[in-house]
Amino acid sequence: MTEFDTDRGSLNAGLAIAGLLAGSVLLLAAGRAPANGHRNGRAAALPPRRSSRKRPTVVAARRLNRAAGVLAASVLADSSVEHYRGSFKNKAMYTPLIVSASTLATSLHGTADARPAAHWFRDATYLTAAVSGLIGTGFHIYNVGKKVGGFSWQNFFYGAPIGAPMAILLSGLLGFCSERVRESRKGTRPEIFQLPAGRTMAAVIGAGLLGTSGEAGLLHFRGAFHNPFMLLPVTLPPLGAALLGRAALAGPGQQHRATRWWMRVLAAMGFAGVGLHAYGVSRNMGGWRNWSQNILNGPPLPAPPSFAGLALAGLAALELMEDHPDA
Amino acid sequence: MSDNPQHTPRARRGRAPDVFRPGGWVPMREYGEDETVDFAIVGTGAGGGTLACKLAEYGFSVVAFDAGPYFRPLEDFASDESEQTKLYWTDDRIVDGANPLQLGSNNSGKAVGGSTVHFAMVSLRFRPEWFKSRSLLGYGADWPLDWREMWNYYREVEQALKIAGPVNYPWGPPRPRYPYRAHPLNAAARVLAKGCEALGIGWTETPLATLSAPRGLAHPCVYRGFCVAGCSTNAKQSALVTWIPRALAAGAEIRDLAMVGRVEVDAAGRATGVHFHRDGTWHFQRARHVVVAGYAIETPRLLLNSTNGQFPDGLANSSGLVGENLMAQSNQAVWGLMDQEIRSYKGPPSLAITEHWNYEDKGKDFFGGYSYMSQGPLPQLWANTQMAARGLWGARLMSDMQNYNHVAGLKIVGEMLPQENNRVTLADEVDQFGLRIPRVTYSWCDNDKRLIAHALKFMTQALEEADARDIWTQEDDTCHLNGTARMGSDPARSVVNADCRSWDIPNLWICDGSVFPTVGGANPSLTIQAIACRTADRIRDLAGRGELDQPARRRYAAQTAQ
Ligand SMILES: Cc1cc2nc3c(=O)[nH]c(=O)nc-3n(C[C@H](O)[C@H](O)[C@H](O)COP(=O)(O)OP(=O)(O)OC[C@H]3O[C@@H](n4cnc5c(N)ncnc54)[C@H](O)[C@@H]3O)c2cc1C
Ligand code: SF4
Repeated sequence: MTEFDTDRGSLNAGLAIAGLLAGSVLLLAAGRAPANGHRNGRAAALPPRRSSRKRPTVVAARRLNRAAGVLAASVLADSSVEHYRGSFKNKAMYTPLIVSASTLATSLHGTADARPAAHWFRDATYLTAAVSGLIGTGFHIYNVGKKVGGFSWQNFFYGAPIGAPMAILLSGLLGFCSERVRESRKGTRPEIFQLPAGRTMAAVIGAGLLGTSGEAGLLHFRGAFHNPFMLLPVTLPPLGAALLGRAALAGPGQQHRATRWWMRVLAAMGFAGVGLHAYGVSRNMGGWRNWSQNILNGPPLPAPPSFAGLALAGLAALELMEDHPDA
Repeated sequence: MSDNPQHTPRARRGRAPDVFRPGGWVPMREYGEDETVDFAIVGTGAGGGTLACKLAEYGFSVVAFDAGPYFRPLEDFASDESEQTKLYWTDDRIVDGANPLQLGSNNSGKAVGGSTVHFAMVSLRFRPEWFKSRSLLGYGADWPLDWREMWNYYREVEQALKIAGPVNYPWGPPRPRYPYRAHPLNAAARVLAKGCEALGIGWTETPLATLSAPRGLAHPCVYRGFCVAGCSTNAKQSALVTWIPRALAAGAEIRDLAMVGRVEVDAAGRATGVHFHRDGTWHFQRARHVVVAGYAIETPRLLLNSTNGQFPDGLANSSGLVGENLMAQSNQAVWGLMDQEIRSYKGPPSLAITEHWNYEDKGKDFFGGYSYMSQGPLPQLWANTQMAARGLWGARLMSDMQNYNHVAGLKIVGEMLPQENNRVTLADEVDQFGLRIPRVTYSWCDNDKRLIAHALKFMTQALEEADARDIWTQEDDTCHLNGTARMGSDPARSVVNADCRSWDIPNLWICDGSVFPTVGGANPSLTIQAIACRTADRIRDLAGRGELDQPARRRYAAQTAQ
């Protein structure tokens, strides 16, 4: 039974965590780059097409890339650990690693890129991520259903997590949206499929928050909410989703200050969650000294930052709406 | 000084081992032998440990004795089946009858925490009708307890042990949600599930007294399957890591390596305390009340060994029923080979269960019920089983052991009927303390045999449906001991009343598996603990009303006069 195959060395787990850390650091560093400046490296090597000095759509697009990257990093680390734990029994289990790694790289590129034009390669990667998220969800649903007991609590708790591939779907969607925002022409309303971009994204991110909260809820229910902090990801994000929903429906010219603050709270919760999960790992037999087993047994370290990814995306959407009241 | 807990008592000088911290201690209140404590409790297992905790929390002064050592699971428990036999009660006993019981590993523990230190953690509620099996189902004897009241006490125990169970339990009246979620099923459990689904009966994850999430300083289960050899992570919620630490914190004293040899009764027919052997000599502890909780063999043995002029047949024995109606539970199994790897030892041994035949009465040619569970024997036990049940030895045994990782099995916990001839009496031989040893006489009745035959046939079918091959049956095994001091509502036909108080001696109580009038087809420890919680509440209430010293018989007389 793969759930119990925990006695091998956990190089992959370590690599995944290192990957998550490195990814987050890179993203945050990239995010800190001036919104109007070209950085050295790949982005700078491409010929500039148009000036993008402080163009709000580009700022928003870069922020969205960063958010997509945080999500992708979380998926990369999480699926590495979990699929390693599942001994990569099925070759398809490598897919999320490859897809999320390329999404992460793409988002780094998008975060650094200050030009107001979509990039076909980024579009392609983001779309691939979204599609693989959908297919992965299908796979996971199939896996849960085929176990004895079918769609039962036991299999939802311990079978392939239904919600997990949604994170890469969301990452892909955010990236795809960022490209649409980025390429919108100056003076026009940024749009996604002819819908106002800011509001559409607020709705999508709100739904993403609800879904992610649902997954945290399922797994924290499995852990019997034995620690009161486990209630946070099932209470704060739905409120955030409601606030984003309200922002999506509100007319132009609103400030949404509370919503923005709430997104910051959620981002903080997402990163702090890693610390709480690290504490959770320590409560298993042997604590951190027995890290190679307990990282696999304990609460997943890379999972909580997906809330941060969504919250950062929410912030980007809200700020876009502020700059483009009709967006 | 030696820190071997089997040779030197650990709970002394105002402190007891802290089972959660290697080398740690917790403060322990101590009572002088001349100090008359409210309760002297003999045995610290499911019954005695629970009662000690509850009574201490209600403010009574309590000293609880155990003949066994005070183990520190984090340090003292090895991943070695042979080493862990130190948990069993293996003092001399004589067994006879048509189906002599095999005593020791599978039915009695000797340690602070009692048999729960190496029990398999299956934590089931009784089927409500079993509390009235004579009037409602036509066999056995009625309990003087109401299932609805028990339902509340079950809940208390499930909370206290953070039982990990299914979100919805398929059988019986609704019960509150288990405090912790069920554990993941191992492959052996999935074999059970597959068989049940093919035969169209219900199954579920077994409610287990082992943590599926952290709890305080106790770690969640690591699924290494050493449970019946003692759990070295403290995931198992034995009395040793649950009730006993609470009892200490509430001011109870635990005396380890303290064998009680005799309950003293004065001329007025009241218990005055207990004689116990510790540190090489006999001592006497005064007490206002004595509770015997040594399990279904040692409890009657102690009562029978405590004779005096006034009670020549043993204490609390005016009914003549002390020692009688001993009930084991049938524990037969069906084993088979699966093509895929099973590695049934991974995880607690019984992760999946069906109670179908506990709750379904149609299609039975016997009284009573049985549950059956998936199994996870450790290698040594498995080799023993192959040898004892199939006579395998030498090359055959070696080659069969090669299949160990592919074996799946189903095992019942079956109801055996109470019979007065199944009993504990005293042999003439004496043990290391000079105390007469118990003679345990056991024979199956026809009903027991019919139940076993039904179960073996049904489980064979279930294994076949799950695609097992080379199926064979293990026909002679028993587990769990109960009866021998049954509770009832008539002093002529029972030893204690519903409050576990003896009819004959007002301040002598019996609170363990001995008091069961019937056993049902469910493992007993949850019920033992629930009864102990109820007894503690009754004692508190009686004390509150100033009735604690009123004999049980007077209340019975008042009731029957009405
Ligand atoms: C291997 C195994 C697996 C089991 N699995 C399960 C299970 O899965 N589910 C379940 O519900 N039940 C299970 N049981 C049964 C369960 O453990 C017992 O029914 C329960 O512990 C009995 O409680 P008790 O208080 O009557 O006795 P015990 O828990 O046995 O406690 C009695 C204590 O009294 C002490 N004692 C006895 N006589 C004296 C004396 N004269 N002086 C001092 N101390 C004395 C003993 O040392 C012992 O520690 C299992 C038992 C075993 C052995
Ligand atoms: S499987 Fe779980 S309960 Fe059993 S011994 Fe190991 S940790 Fe303890």
